[in-house]
Amino acid sequence: MDWNLMIALAANGIVWGLIIALIALGLSIIFGLLDIINVAHGDFFMVGTVLAFGVLQTTGNFWLALLIVPILGFVLGAVIEQIVIKPIRNAAALSIVATFGLSIILQESVRATYGAAPRRILPPIEGTFPLLNIEYDIYRLVAAFLSILAISGFFLFLHRTKFGTWMRAVRHDSEAALIMGIPTERVYLMTFAIGFALAALGGVVAAPITTVDFRSGIDILPFCFMAVIIGGLGNLPGTAAAAVLLSFVEGVVASFTDPTMARITSLCLMSAVLLLRPQGLFTGLAK
Amino acid sequence: MNSKIQKINIAVVVAFVAFLFAAPIILPMIANPFWVSVTSEILIWSLFAASVNLLFGYIGLLSFGQALYFGFGMYGVAIGIAHLGLGFWPAFALGIIASVAMSVIAGSLAVRLTWHYFAIITVVFSLIFYFLALSWKPLTGGDDGIGFSMPPMLRIGDFEVTLLNPNTQYYFILLVVIGCFYLMHRLLQSPLGKAMIAVRENDVRASLIGLDVYRLRLVAFIAAGFMAGVAGALFAFFGRYASASYMFYHVSGEGVVWTLVGGVGTLLGPVFGTALLVILREELSVLWDNYLLLVGAIVILTVIYAPKGIVGLYTDMLNKLLNTSDENGDEQGGK
Repeated sequence: MDWNLMIALAANGIVWGLIIALIALGLSIIFGLLDIINVAHGDFFMVGTVLAFGVLQTTGNFWLALLIVPILGFVLGAVIEQIVIKPIRNAAALSIVATFGLSIILQESVRATYGAAPRRILPPIEGTFPLLNIEYDIYRLVAAFLSILAISGFFLFLHRTKFGTWMRAVRHDSEAALIMGIPTERVYLMTFAIGFALAALGGVVAAPITTVDFRSGIDILPFCFMAVIIGGLGNLPGTAAAAVLLSFVEGVVASFTDPTMARITSLCLMSAVLLLRPQGLFTGLAK
Repeated sequence: MNSKIQKINIAVVVAFVAFLFAAPIILPMIANPFWVSVTSEILIWSLFAASVNLLFGYIGLLSFGQALYFGFGMYGVAIGIAHLGLGFWPAFALGIIASVAMSVIAGSLAVRLTWHYFAIITVVFSLIFYFLALSWKPLTGGDDGIGFSMPPMLRIGDFEVTLLNPNTQYYFILLVVIGCFYLMHRLLQSPLGKAMIAVRENDVRASLIGLDVYRLRLVAFIAAGFMAGVAGALFAFFGRYASASYMFYHVSGEGVVWTLVGGVGTLLGPVFGTALLVILREELSVLWDNYLLLVGAIVILTVIYAPKGIVGLYTDMLNKLLNTSDENGDEQGGK
């Protein structure tokens, strides 16, 4: 057994888990507030990586991308909410189909403009540092740190601002919230836009450690759903914890089988959670 | 009024079926013979879409994992012929049995859940077997798939009937697909079918009048698995190969899209939806590389403006036409 490989894969698992947590939080609030299964969420992430590539091409500054891309994502999310999501709010079952159409459009738009060939972004900070007895990329540590920062920021927003309180209120009981004078339409709009922005931010953070490709959303989507389901629908800290845990476990399993087997393991785990504990693994702990 | 619409509908269906039977003769005359093969493909995918429709349109469960049973039908045939050396009919049977067996196992677990959870668990099941098929290369060939050479359907001495003859292949596919649609029609007309619709409308009330909701959902799930499996087996014969890529959730998604665009909860809706989108693909993909943008737009517009699909639009139009010509006086009086 190769311990060094296992350490590297486990560390990668934690880093990816934190990025996935960021994306899955967006998926979870969109589901919790708008009752919409957003099949296009992986593509929001993909759009983030492509926009990061674009900003990097024009300005040459990665940190600028980190600032601009979430804003672009927020605007795109708001526009999409108005055009696609708002008209189907009363037909929740069809939301999967509509967002599937949205997913096709996003992928094809990127393929038409950016091209079909996968490309790479160089990490803004090169170099490695010793982690136990392997040399580990510094940027991955930065990516983990950025994700933690963004996740904490999101939770602070949710719990310490008026708008965050509105969001929690609408999720709890949208009719009562409306009666209390909360502008629910605006909350829906903001929620979807924030969801897109979080996924796009995840895209920027992940861009230097993955490939920038119009198909990358397809791979990331099942993983985000796993985190949301295993963490418990609507349980945001649970979702974040599940993302890190799942990704870590996949890393460890992959170190002694292969990545596909690791993926199958977590899918089986997800089925078991869905059937036995549909409220999620961590519900009850969060309180 | 109703009988008039019914007569028109029957006439449309008869004309459509007559066209399908005449297609290998008509299509090469008015267009390229390659459209006969496109029509075969449309027929197969229609059957696949119909399996989505049976679940979503008639018992209210949106499955995003029908590609799993399609894939099992495909692999049953391909593995049967390529690895086990089976003949035509045993391989066909193996494909169908494999997909039905899979749908019994998956269904008995999946139909405990409903709505979003049901959609998610059907995707998860199909993903598990997609990844298994990808990694188990000696058996499945992974993404490249496995090919096989077509065994004869019937051999008497030197006389052989095989699907290598394009016309035999077309009529074989047509008859099997029509047979399956007829079975579905009979199922929906039967008390069992009515009970399914009751579950779709309100599962709590259905259970209160003594219907076994779980068992009805399971029966529908298995019937849908059977239809997807037959479609997969036909597609294996049609392409003479099977590949893991047909088990991915995008294939399931296409089935949902075809059904929705055609008209959910109508027998022939999936056929029209599939026909429209497959023809669009064949015509447009040559001219415009990014024609999928249009497909995505059609999907979203259908969900927002025409949730009943093509068949819904057609029915509305027919109602309007007949109403305005017959009840003109009434409407004016009302105003």
